[in-house]
Amino acid sequence: MEDWRRIDIDAYDPESGRLTVDDLKPPYPHILTLQELQPAIQQLRSYTSSGDFSAAVQLITSEPPYDADEQAKSQYLTGVLEVLTQVRQADIANIIKQLDRKQQDALIKYLYKGMSIPEGQKHGGILLAWFEKLTQVAGVNPIVHYLSDRRTV
Amino acid sequence: MSDIAAQFKLVKGPIYSHCFNQDRSLLAITYDTDCYVYKVFASKQPQLVAVLPDHDKTVTAVDISVHGRIVTCSQDRNAIVWEPLSNGTYKPTLVLLRINRAATTVSWASTGYKFAVGSSARIIAVCYYEQDNDWWVSKHIKKPIKSTINALSWHSNSVLLACGGTDGYARVFSGFIKGLDTKEQVAGSPWGEKFPFGSLVREWYQGAWIHDIQWRSSIDRVAFVAHDGSLTITDYTDDIITADSPEGLPFNSLCWINDHEILAAGFSNHPVLFSEGSKGWEVSKILDRPPKANEKPLLSTGNDDEEGTNFGMSALRKFKELDLKGKVSQQEEKSTHENSITELAPYAESNNNITQVSSVALDGKLVIYQL
Repeated sequence: MEDWRRIDIDAYDPESGRLTVDDLKPPYPHILTLQELQPAIQQLRSYTSSGDFSAAVQLITSEPPYDADEQAKSQYLTGVLEVLTQVRQADIANIIKQLDRKQQDALIKYLYKGMSIPEGQKHGGILLAWFEKLTQVAGVNPIVHYLSDRRTV
Repeated sequence: MSDIAAQFKLVKGPIYSHCFNQDRSLLAITYDTDCYVYKVFASKQPQLVAVLPDHDKTVTAVDISVHGRIVTCSQDRNAIVWEPLSNGTYKPTLVLLRINRAATTVSWASTGYKFAVGSSARIIAVCYYEQDNDWWVSKHIKKPIKSTINALSWHSNSVLLACGGTDGYARVFSGFIKGLDTKEQVAGSPWGEKFPFGSLVREWYQGAWIHDIQWRSSIDRVAFVAHDGSLTITDYTDDIITADSPEGLPFNSLCWINDHEILAAGFSNHPVLFSEGSKGWEVSKILDRPPKANEKPLLSTGNDDEEGTNFGMSALRKFKELDLKGKVSQQEEKSTHENSITELAPYAESNNNITQVSSVALDGKLVIYQL
């Protein structure tokens, strides 16, 4: 039998637009630039320097920069990693318990993203501690959400 | 177990879709490239009465209309309407869908005069019978669908058509066919004023693949389940409520029980009942749960008292036992379905309240759950 599964049927159909990566992105009306995200990053810094980590985690998880461009996201992530790595191990569980479902989903995105870049890998142990505590509180739900969520940090 | 009213092993392969007729005397299931029709008895194994063989690739969905017509759709890109004859056989009529990829799902409108077919060609084909030509005609809804349609559901007014697919959007279209539908069907609908064929009435971004979508027409609400393990309920005010699968595994199918309860099932092999309370939608009952899964801690690690820490250890223990005995632990209790549930459907109803739900799964079983 002819290997019909390998036939590129789209090539015969001029009207069939292929599904592109952009098609799957959420429909944001406006993409934030680094400049527009700067106030949020400043706010985060001030929480970090004053040692108010609980408020800082609340901030990063309740307003994740889903609709920002890549440059802004990476700047923001640097700030986020600063917060996450400075929290004492003993406090992590308490901070996580204050988060709701949406915030847990956002937190796990920072953790995965952090573990994927060299700056985060330096603090891999701490990120894993966050990960462990998060799965203890919320089970595997945030992980399952993360796998199929197209809103990225 | 008390949750199970009946269970039958029907075939030695996956069942992707099933449907009972109006009076629950006949059951149609998909099996490989055929559709099997069974006669159903109160508590006896269903009896195979007809095999509908005309498709030459996997049959993906089956539905029965209020008049008893069976429609099947298949990966061979065709749909076939099977007209029941008086001698118990069925007369097939091929419906040309004009699509270049597999047909994935099919659903009759409640009037029984038209049906919609979802496909991987990013098209919904709405098909109706044209008397003049003695032919089933299909009209396409294309925009703005970007990927495969996984699920379709008609509103009871037979005009509004909800769909969900792998592009992560749940959408409501108008399937209004001139000459077949009348404006009275949608008079006073809260969803809009005019419903020309193919117009997009509403869309909601979910992000993950949508596996199933169902209307609750009496309260004009839509519920859908997605691959991130969530159940979402929304309506024309765009008020979106989300609940999570208790085990984290995604649902494949859902079924409204009444205005405030939904049964959902999927990869965890047993259904979960969600109820609407003062705090939104929450899990209220887990049906047919394997009893040992949560009662017994899998392995006491001594210093960890929190429940969640154990899940990593169960794998370790499994391998240890595998190593010692040469077989997998026997303590694992199974639910009635031994593989992912693919479809739920209402089976028995009293006072606008579903009392029994039927389900089929990849294990080839049909199970009827008692709520």
